[in-house]
Amino acid sequence: MIPDHIFELASYRIDQEPHITVNREICRPCPHKACTFTCPAGCYQWNERSARMDFAYEACLECGTCLVLCDQGALKWNYPRGGFGVRFRLT
Amino acid sequence: VVKRTLSLLSEASAASFVFESKNFDKPPYSGYTIYRPVFDRWYAQKAREAGVTLLAGCLVEELLSDGNSFAGVKIGRDKGEIRAPVTIVCDGVLSLLAQKAGLRKSPEPGALALGIKALFRLNEEEINERFGLVRNQGCSQEFIGCTKGIRGGGFIYTQTRTLSTGLVLHLESLKKSGIAPYDLLQYFLDLDPVRKLLKGTRLVEYSAHMIPEGGYRHIPRLFGDGVLLAGDAAGLCYTNGLNLEGMNLAVASGFHAAETVLDAFQKSDFSAKQLAQYQSRLKESFVLRDMKTYEKAMDFMRTDRLFSIYPALVSTIMERIFQADGKPRKKIGRIGWDAAKEALPLSDLVGDLLKGGRSLL
Repeated sequence: MIPDHIFELASYRIDQEPHITVNREICRPCPHKACTFTCPAGCYQWNERSARMDFAYEACLECGTCLVLCDQGALKWNYPRGGFGVRFRLT
Repeated sequence: VVKRTLSLLSEASAASFVFESKNFDKPPYSGYTIYRPVFDRWYAQKAREAGVTLLAGCLVEELLSDGNSFAGVKIGRDKGEIRAPVTIVCDGVLSLLAQKAGLRKSPEPGALALGIKALFRLNEEEINERFGLVRNQGCSQEFIGCTKGIRGGGFIYTQTRTLSTGLVLHLESLKKSGIAPYDLLQYFLDLDPVRKLLKGTRLVEYSAHMIPEGGYRHIPRLFGDGVLLAGDAAGLCYTNGLNLEGMNLAVASGFHAAETVLDAFQKSDFSAKQLAQYQSRLKESFVLRDMKTYEKAMDFMRTDRLFSIYPALVSTIMERIFQADGKPRKKIGRIGWDAAKEALPLSDLVGDLLKGGRSLL
C-alpha cells in the first residue's frame, strides 16, 4: 500500500510545528470521518479502542482533501512554513 | 502529443478509441506533456532574465489591505511585508489567500476533484515501443470505468523517461464511496490494460493535488481593488470528457493578468474599475469562452452512470459482437439495443442522451 512507503515516494522537510491542527473533541461524534479514508497519504486514522482521531501531519501531501471534506470545523489548516513540507522533485 | 486514447474499461475488457495525427507532429504543436521540474526551472529562469525577483521557499500568509484596496502580501519570513499596488493571486485550487481576503468562498466538495499520481520510470526506447511512438512524440491515454463507480477516471501520460499515471476522483463521489484513493489507484494499476503498459517500470514518486471542477458557474469574481485572481485560484479548469483543460487556461490567464497590470501601471490606476479589463480580456479569449461553451458539459460529467454503467455497456456490446460461439449472430443494432435494455431503464438512457447531446453538441 502506497502510504506505507510514502517517505520513499515523496520528499519532505518536516517542520516541528504542524501545519494542520485537529480538534479531536469535534472528531469524536463526526458521522462520516471521511478524512480517515479519503486522505491520499493516510494521515488520519480513527482509533476505535480509544475513540480518538489519530493524526500525523508529517506525510501530508498538502492537497486539501481533508480541509474540503471536513464539514465539522475540526481542522485548522495552513500550508507549512516557507521551505517546509512536501517537495515533489519529479512531478 | 500526437496520439490520444480514450479507453472504456469493465472488469474483463477494454474498448478504446485511438486518435493519432501527423498534424499534431509539426508546428504549431497542439499539446505537450511537460515535466514540471524541468519546465518550472526553465520558466523561472525566463522570468529572472526579464528582471523578476523570485522569492521561493517563503509562504505568503495573507493579502495586505490599506483600507480601500489590497496593497501587497504578508510573508511568513522576518515579519515581512511586500507592498505592491496590485497583486496577482495564483496560490492554487484552495486559494486560502483569496478566501481570507473574502474574494471567494471556501470550495465545496461538489466542485472539486482529487488527483493522485504515481510517476514511473522507464527508458525512452521502451516507452516509444509500448505506446507506438517515435522520437519525442508523446501520447495521452485516459480511462473511464476503472474507478469502481466513483465519478472520475484514470490517465497515463508519456514523458521522455517517465510515465505519469493516476486517477482523478470527484470529491463528493469519493466521500460517498468509502474507498481510499490509494487502494483505488492500486486497483487501477493492476488492471490488465494498465499493468501491461507499466510492466517492468519503477515507481519513483507519488503525489496528490486537487483540481477545480466546478466549471463556469463556480468562477469567483476575478478582480478587485489592487487584486487579480488567476489559474486554479480562479477556478479556471474544465472537462467535456475528451478535453481536460487546466494548465493552458492558467498560462493564458497569467498572460492576460500581466497585460492588465501593465496597462494599470501606465495609467497609474489600480482600482477594480481599471482592473475589470482583465475579465473582459478573458471573456474575449479562449479562457472564459471555452469555460462557457462547456458549462453544461461539467454538469453532465456529474452523471454517475458515465463512469459505471456505460463503460460496462460498451464492453458488453463489443463482447457480444466479437463473440464466436457457434450460435447465430444478431444484427449489431439489435445487440446494442438488447444490451442497453438489460443495463438500465430506457428513460435513464434517453435522459442521458439528451443531456449529453445538449452539453456537447
